[in-house]
Amino acid sequence: MEKATVVVIGGGATGVGILRDLAMRGVDVLLVEKCDLVNGASSRYHGLLHSGGRYAVKDQEAARECIIENKILRKIGKSCVEATGGMFVRLDIDDPDYEQQWVKGCADSGIDAEPITLEQAFRLEPLLSKHVVSAYLVPDAAIDGFRMSWQNVESAQRYGGRFKTYREVVGIQHQNGEIQGVQVRNMITGEIEEIACDILVNAAGGWAGKVAALAGLEVGVQPDKGTLLAFNQRLTSHVVNRLHKSSDGDIFVPHGSITILGTSSMSIPDPEDTSTSREEVENLLSIGEKTFEHLRDYRMLRAFAGSRPLYMPPGGAAGRGASRGFAIVDHGKDDGLKGMMTIVGGKFTTYRLMAEKIVDQICDKLNVKEPCRTAEEPLVPEVAENDKKEARKYFPAYGTNLAATRLGPERFRRVVDDLKAHPEKRELVCECENVTLAEVEEIAKELSSFQINDIRRRTRIGMGTCQANFCALRSAAVFAKCGRDKVAKDSLGQMKQFLQGRWKGIRPVLVGRTLREIEMTRALYELSFHVDGGKKA
Amino acid sequence: MKHSDTVVIGSGLAGLMAALTSAKQGKKVTLLTTGAGSLSLNSGVIDVLGFDENHNFVESPREGIKTLPEDHPYKKIGVDTLEKAVEAFLDFTKEGHFPYSGSLDRQILVPTAVGTLKPTCLAPRSLNGNGLKEKQHIVVVGISGLKDFYGDIIVDNIRPLLGENHRYEVVTVESGLGGGRDITTMDVARWMDTDGGLETLASALKPHAAEGTVFLLPQILGTAGEDRMIALQDKLGAEVVETTCLPPSVNGLRLQKIFHGALMRLGVDLIEDTKVVRAVTQGKRCTAVVAQAAAREKTYEAEKFILATGGFYSGGITMREFEQPKEMIFGLPVWFVPGEENWSNEQLFSDKPQGFAKTGILTDENLRPVDNKTGKVVYDNVHVVGRNLGGYDFCFEHSGNGVALASAYKAAMV
Repeated sequence: MEKATVVVIGGGATGVGILRDLAMRGVDVLLVEKCDLVNGASSRYHGLLHSGGRYAVKDQEAARECIIENKILRKIGKSCVEATGGMFVRLDIDDPDYEQQWVKGCADSGIDAEPITLEQAFRLEPLLSKHVVSAYLVPDAAIDGFRMSWQNVESAQRYGGRFKTYREVVGIQHQNGEIQGVQVRNMITGEIEEIACDILVNAAGGWAGKVAALAGLEVGVQPDKGTLLAFNQRLTSHVVNRLHKSSDGDIFVPHGSITILGTSSMSIPDPEDTSTSREEVENLLSIGEKTFEHLRDYRMLRAFAGSRPLYMPPGGAAGRGASRGFAIVDHGKDDGLKGMMTIVGGKFTTYRLMAEKIVDQICDKLNVKEPCRTAEEPLVPEVAENDKKEARKYFPAYGTNLAATRLGPERFRRVVDDLKAHPEKRELVCECENVTLAEVEEIAKELSSFQINDIRRRTRIGMGTCQANFCALRSAAVFAKCGRDKVAKDSLGQMKQFLQGRWKGIRPVLVGRTLREIEMTRALYELSFHVDGGKKA
Repeated sequence: MKHSDTVVIGSGLAGLMAALTSAKQGKKVTLLTTGAGSLSLNSGVIDVLGFDENHNFVESPREGIKTLPEDHPYKKIGVDTLEKAVEAFLDFTKEGHFPYSGSLDRQILVPTAVGTLKPTCLAPRSLNGNGLKEKQHIVVVGISGLKDFYGDIIVDNIRPLLGENHRYEVVTVESGLGGGRDITTMDVARWMDTDGGLETLASALKPHAAEGTVFLLPQILGTAGEDRMIALQDKLGAEVVETTCLPPSVNGLRLQKIFHGALMRLGVDLIEDTKVVRAVTQGKRCTAVVAQAAAREKTYEAEKFILATGGFYSGGITMREFEQPKEMIFGLPVWFVPGEENWSNEQLFSDKPQGFAKTGILTDENLRPVDNKTGKVVYDNVHVVGRNLGGYDFCFEHSGNGVALASAYKAAMV
C-alpha cells in the first residue's frame, strides 16, 4: 500500500501551498486531487493579487494579510505576477462617505492609496467613464493562478513532495479515533487505491464539507458562486476597482491580452455548479458599463464561474457578509478524530499564509522543527540567462520568458534542446499564446496529462483570441502522437471534448462579436472537418 | 450616382452566384463588397443537405429536402429551382475549366484533414473521395512544415470508415518551404503551381505508387483549376484526392477565381472595399443604396437589390444585445429563436440544430423580406440570399453552400 506521512486533499492554491511548505520542511507528503490541479476556485477567479484595498473598510484583518502577502508573492513568484498596479475609482452615483472610510481603512491597514487627479486617471485609463469623480492608485496586481499553482507543485517536487491528479477521495479510514489513511478512486481507470497516512489535511475548498462528511464530521462551508467575464481585449492597464461598498461586477483585471470582469456572489448548494446564465452575464455587463461605458462593443471570450469556499462558523453570515478570512479546524481537538485537519475559507492572495499556519500546526504534531521558508525562497529557480539567450534563437522572441517561467529550468532546458535538434518543432501550435510544438509535446508526455484540457492549463493553448479554433486540431494530433494511452489516441473525441470545454464558457455570452467566433468554430469543425461524423455517414 | 439593373451586396458564394446569374440574364450588374468575400474560409464544395432535422444522414438531398420544416429556405426556393441552380453551377464550373460533379440524388464523401468523410453534393474531382473504398493502398501525404495536416490521425480515423482491408502509409515530403515562418496550404499550392514544385512532389511519391494506390493530400494541388491535379496523376499513374483543411481554403479560392473571371467577362462592375451603410427607399421600393468608400459616400441606384451580406460571421446580421438582432443596411426584420434555453444547446456538437444559428431574415417565395408577424413583404424589389436567410442551421444540416447557390439563383431569376 502507498504511504505518506501527510496526505493533502485538494489541488487548489491552498493544497499546493501546503504541499510545498511541508515538502520544504522535509515532511513526506502526497497530494491527491480529483480533477486536474487548479480546477476549482483557484483558477475560476479574477486573477487578482489584492492590495487589500477591497477589504479596507469591512475586514481590516483580511486587508492587512493581503498587503503583506501581496509583497511576498511578488517576490517569490515574480513570473506569475503582472505588476499592473490598481486603481480605485468612485463614480458620481457612489456614496462619498464611503470614500472617506476607505481612505482611513487603507491607512489603518498599511495599504498605500495615492490620490490622483481626474486628469491623471483618464490619462492612465482612457476608456474610463466620465462619471468618475475621484481616483486612487493602490498596489493591486494581476496574478496567474494556473502558473503559480504549478510552480508550487514543481517546487514541492524538488523537495520530494508528490502529487496524484484524477484521484477522488471516496473514503477516510480511521481506527480508535485516529486517522489511518484514505481510499481514492482513480477517475481514469475507476480503480480504488488506498493510501496510508498519519495526518490527513482536508484542503478541498468548496468540497471541504463533503470530504469531512466521509469521516462523519461536519464542517460549515458554503460554496459561493462567483461569475466572471473574459473580454478579448485589454480594456485597462490597471486593475480597476469601483470605490463603493463591495458589490457585483465592479473589478476589472487585465491579464496579458485580455481583461476579466467580475464577479457575482451567490450561495449555491453544490460546488460542482460552475454554470453561468445569461442573466448573470447581463447583470455583470450592466454594472460594468457604469465604469466602462462602451463595454458591450468589445468581444467577450467567455463567462466562467467558481465557488468561493466561504467558512461558516455556526451562526455566521453568508454571501458578501461572510468573512473572506480563513479557518483551521483540528478535528483531533474538536471532534476527537486525531490526525485530521481541515482548512477552509481565505482567498488566493493569502494561500501561502494559510499554508504556513496549518503546516506550523502539523509540524508541531510531527515534532518537526524546521521553520517555514516559503516566504523567502522563490517558487522557481531562475532560468540561467545563457539558456534564455540560447532559447531566443528558437523561440518566438516575446515567448521566451513566458515559456521559461511556465516550464521551469529543467523542462525549459529539454525544450530548448529539442528545438535546437529539431527546427521543425519551432512551429507554433497556438499562435494566440505563442506555444511551440516542442513545448506542447513536452507537456503532452507528462504523466499528469490525461486530456488536452490538462495541457491547456499548463501551456495556455486555446485560451487566447481564437479560443481553440486553430489549435484544437493541432493539439489533438500532438496528443495522439505523444500521449500515453488509448484515450489520447482518440483524436476526434479529444478535439470534441476540448472544444466543448470552450463552448461551456462561450454559451452564456453568445451575443455580439462572440457569435461571429462560434460561427467560425462550427464551420471549421462541424462542417469542414465533420468531427461529429466519425461513426455516421 | 450610378445606375444598374441589379445591385448585389456581398461577395461570398451567394453574392457571386447572384451576380453571375443576373449578368447571364443580360442585366447590368454592380457587385458591392466590403472585403474579399468569405470564400477563403469556405471549403468550396457544395453541401446541399447532409443531415435532416433529427440528425439522420441524408442519402439523397432531393428526398431529404421534403422532410424539412415549412419555414426552411429550401421550401421557399423549391426543388425545381434548386435543380436548375445546380445545373447552372455545374455548367459554369465546366466553362471555367474547373469542373464539379455530383447530383441531388446522392452524396459525395469528401475526406477531411481529421480523417472523417464529409457528405457533400457537388465537388471538384480533386475532393471527391467516393472512390477511396475501392483502393487497396492509401498513402497519406504530409508536407514538412505544413502544420495543419497530420497523417497519423487521418489514418487512425479513416480506417474504421473505409474498412480494414486497406494498406495505409504516411509519407512526409520535404518542401524546403518555411524559412523561419509557418506555412499554409496556400503556400504549398503556390509551390505546386511551379513545375519544380510539382516535380519534387511527384518524384517523392512515385516510389509509393502501385496498382490500387490512392494518394490523399492536403489542399495543395495548385491555386487554380484542376490542371495541377491532373498533371500529378499523370506523373504518378495513380489517383490523388485532396482533403478539406483549415483556412485559407485553397479550394474556396479556386472557385472564387473562376467566379471573378466570369464576372469580369460578363461586364459586372465589381467594386471592392466599399461598405454599404444604408438604403434609400420609397414606400415598399428601394431606389438606391448608399456606400461608404474611402473618402466619401456614393449612391448606387438600381431596379433590384440582392442582399448577400452574410450572417453573424460576415456582419450582415449583428446582435449587440441579447434578443435584438439587426440587419445592418435595410433594417429588415430579423427572425430569431427567443429564450435563453432555446438559443443554444448544451453540447456544441449536438443532435439538434443550434437556435442562434437559425437567426436570419424570413422571406416570401420570391425571397423578398417579410415582416415576422404579419408575413407581409417589406420591400418589393429587395431579395435576400445565403446566410442572410433565417430558419436553417447550415452547420448542423450541412446545407450552407446549397442554400447560397439556390437562393442566389432564384433571386437573380425572379
